[in-house]
Amino acid sequence: MSSERGIVATGVYIPQSRLDGDEIEAAWETSAPVSRAAVPNADEDTLTMAVTAGRDAIESSSREPRAVDHLAIGTTTPPLDEEEFAPRAASALGLREDTELDVATQSPAAGADALLSAAAADGPALAVVSDAPTGNPAEVGQRVGAGAAAFLFDESGAVVFADAATRSRDAPGIRFRERGSDTVEQLAITTYERETIRDLVSTAVDGLDVDHAAVTGASLYQPTADIPHRIARALPYEAESVERGTVVTDIGDAGAATTAIGLLAALEESAPSSVTVAGFFGSGATAIALGFETRAAIDTGVSAAIENGVSIPYAAALRERGHLGETEVAGGGAHVSLPSWQRTLPQRYRLEAGQCPDCGAVAFPPEGACPDCHERVAFDALELPRTGAIVAVTVIGQGGAPPEFVKVQRRDGPFAVAIVEVSSDDGAARFPVQLTDCDPEAVSVGDRVVGRFRRIYSVEGVTRYGLKFVPE
Amino acid sequence: MTDAYIIGAGQSDFGSFPSESYRSLFDDAFDEAVESVDAEFDTDRIDEAFLGTLGVGGRQLGLSGPAVTEHLGLHGIPTTRVENACAASGYALRQAVMAVRSGMVDVALAGGYEVMTDMSGDHTKWWLGVSGETEWERLSGTTFAGVYAQMASAYMREHGATKEDISRVAVKNHANGAQNPHAQLGFECSLEDAMNAPDVAAPLNLYHCCPTTDGASAVLVASEDAARELSDAPVRVAGAGAASGRVGLFQRDSLTRIPASETAAKRAYEAAGVGPADLDFAEVHDCFAIAELAAYEDLGFCDRGEAPRLLREGVTDPDGDLPVNTSGGLKSKGHPIGATGTGQVVEAFAQLRGDAHVQVADPTVGLTHNVGGSGGGVTVHIFERVDGGAL
Repeated sequence: MSSERGIVATGVYIPQSRLDGDEIEAAWETSAPVSRAAVPNADEDTLTMAVTAGRDAIESSSREPRAVDHLAIGTTTPPLDEEEFAPRAASALGLREDTELDVATQSPAAGADALLSAAAADGPALAVVSDAPTGNPAEVGQRVGAGAAAFLFDESGAVVFADAATRSRDAPGIRFRERGSDTVEQLAITTYERETIRDLVSTAVDGLDVDHAAVTGASLYQPTADIPHRIARALPYEAESVERGTVVTDIGDAGAATTAIGLLAALEESAPSSVTVAGFFGSGATAIALGFETRAAIDTGVSAAIENGVSIPYAAALRERGHLGETEVAGGGAHVSLPSWQRTLPQRYRLEAGQCPDCGAVAFPPEGACPDCHERVAFDALELPRTGAIVAVTVIGQGGAPPEFVKVQRRDGPFAVAIVEVSSDDGAARFPVQLTDCDPEAVSVGDRVVGRFRRIYSVEGVTRYGLKFVPE
Repeated sequence: MTDAYIIGAGQSDFGSFPSESYRSLFDDAFDEAVESVDAEFDTDRIDEAFLGTLGVGGRQLGLSGPAVTEHLGLHGIPTTRVENACAASGYALRQAVMAVRSGMVDVALAGGYEVMTDMSGDHTKWWLGVSGETEWERLSGTTFAGVYAQMASAYMREHGATKEDISRVAVKNHANGAQNPHAQLGFECSLEDAMNAPDVAAPLNLYHCCPTTDGASAVLVASEDAARELSDAPVRVAGAGAASGRVGLFQRDSLTRIPASETAAKRAYEAAGVGPADLDFAEVHDCFAIAELAAYEDLGFCDRGEAPRLLREGVTDPDGDLPVNTSGGLKSKGHPIGATGTGQVVEAFAQLRGDAHVQVADPTVGLTHNVGGSGGGVTVHIFERVDGGAL
């Protein structure tokens, strides 16, 4: 590994919907563990968030997706208990089929595993930490959040990876999820938890071979805002440095992603020659510390991502997360088989269109005869931009959606369906899209929209993903 | 080549009859069609049948056509089931006309049937989004109401049309349907009712959308010789136009018109040697209110953007220059998908023989316009009264 290998670009994604602490206090008549938590939309999961953040990092690096040699994803909450999801993330990001894939899970320490995997790889390597834990609304559910952070590693990093250190101990029950359960549990044996977390994380961080006096930012394990400061009591850091890397109060406990997003926040303000550390923790228990030295300031965009957001009522948050109950829908899904859907992934993930070599018209999807000259031609590949304008739009209210969309609609509410026109230098194309993350009544013909990777619908237990659109 | 003539036409009641079957409904339509033939009609005269259905519910996806004709006792005749979504029986009629004109068939049965209300709302909606570009339109989360609503949003933007303009379609068609004993929604509605109904797919509300309907319709198409023998007042099929278009709205150049309607109309007018100005009435495909506005323009009743004016000025009212949907249209009469195309012919046949419930004064030429999906397949037929009544 080159001594200058490190982070060349970063990406971040935090779901738009936020649950304010006031809502939790009003609902439960108790003080809220966080002041604000991000709530994943019903059409979001750790895969969609990972793709959005990963794409952000690749775009900021000015590298082509196909140049990425390695993808590592860390999460406690993969979309399925069993089945690889990294290939879908790689496909949606436009990576090559021979890109190395690595998934870390099992605890929030998986975030560090993903970062280490990319740091140790050769060539451009993308680490994405994406998480959206679920908890009983009466307990852990009061503090859970969601989000994703992405780090593109390569030689000559703006932020050089300096060292890693690990400590582990047989200490279960601090944060766990039983087989087959969606719900994160904790035994809540306060002193046992605090001491285990503090001892393991602080000794791991202290064991880093970095100039601890130069540390200006520290993202320490943060299920709640007080824990990082308890850990830091055993470390020689300013309170301000720890504060800089603490984001849980603003986004909620996003499992593995909280410490990773905290690392972005700590890096955002790091000056050249300063040192930033991250201390991940996983119940069981293990702590992994990472140290970075800043060579050049890096713009992570994390502050804006944290500040942007739309507050939603408590009942809406429970509904989006699926806590208010789901009903079975008669009729099943549309008769589009899984193999048929797979055929169209280049269009659904990346808007791959075709251009007629004879008349120049753009065909989307690029199959069949040319839409303009009606000749049967071999289209030239053309990737359409992800931004466009609405040319026709309607609102599908509760009760109006085709059956395969009913479950998500009951959680997320009415949605708009638009025909979007996108234009490039090579021509324009139109296609129908579902809009998300917006008030469907507030969009109209002429509005600009941008594509986002989301869950489209699930049938026969398999979720189909693709682009939806949100107001630009 | 012989001309083709309509010598009989009938329909079942259109409505919600979950305990009926596609065959029992077709029984009613067939009986009414046979009774409408002026001479004594032996059903053994029927040489071949063309029957349209989408097959909602999937109950008899294969061979439902022969299942119907065998049920009717039309034993052994060749029967073809025609599927072109909501234009299925418009195309069934076209097949019957071609068969008669070719000389292979002396008397043909054209018709259609659909049962839609005997299942849950979710199951019904499952079937209402499979006639667009399914992989893209349906899987963006919309049924047909949404696709026509998108068309309405673009039309309103392009032409400055208002919700009131669109709502006038419902007011007019309900007023007509209230006189039609076969209509599903045979009641009048005020402009206020039509404007203030709950949204189905904004900007379209409940009064801008046709109902889901069970029903059947049947038409007897005869050669000139057979028509002379069997009918005192046969109706000539003066022009049969049809055209296909891209199945997805998003795939077409315009979001505010249906190119296949324009082409089908052009072909029908040319074949009949008439133009829009010669029409005395028309039955157009108003599955959603916006579709009637688009039809006025696609069929050449007025220039682009002028359809709201026609409605506002009463041009298409029963006493106007060009009455449209005197039967109540799909909006009030109902829209049993496969039965709609020949159902329109039932009205045209009645009008040209002076038997309509909302009778236009002394009509000689009328048009029917049947659209599949949002415009993937269209038929336009022009019918003429025979001079002096009989051949």
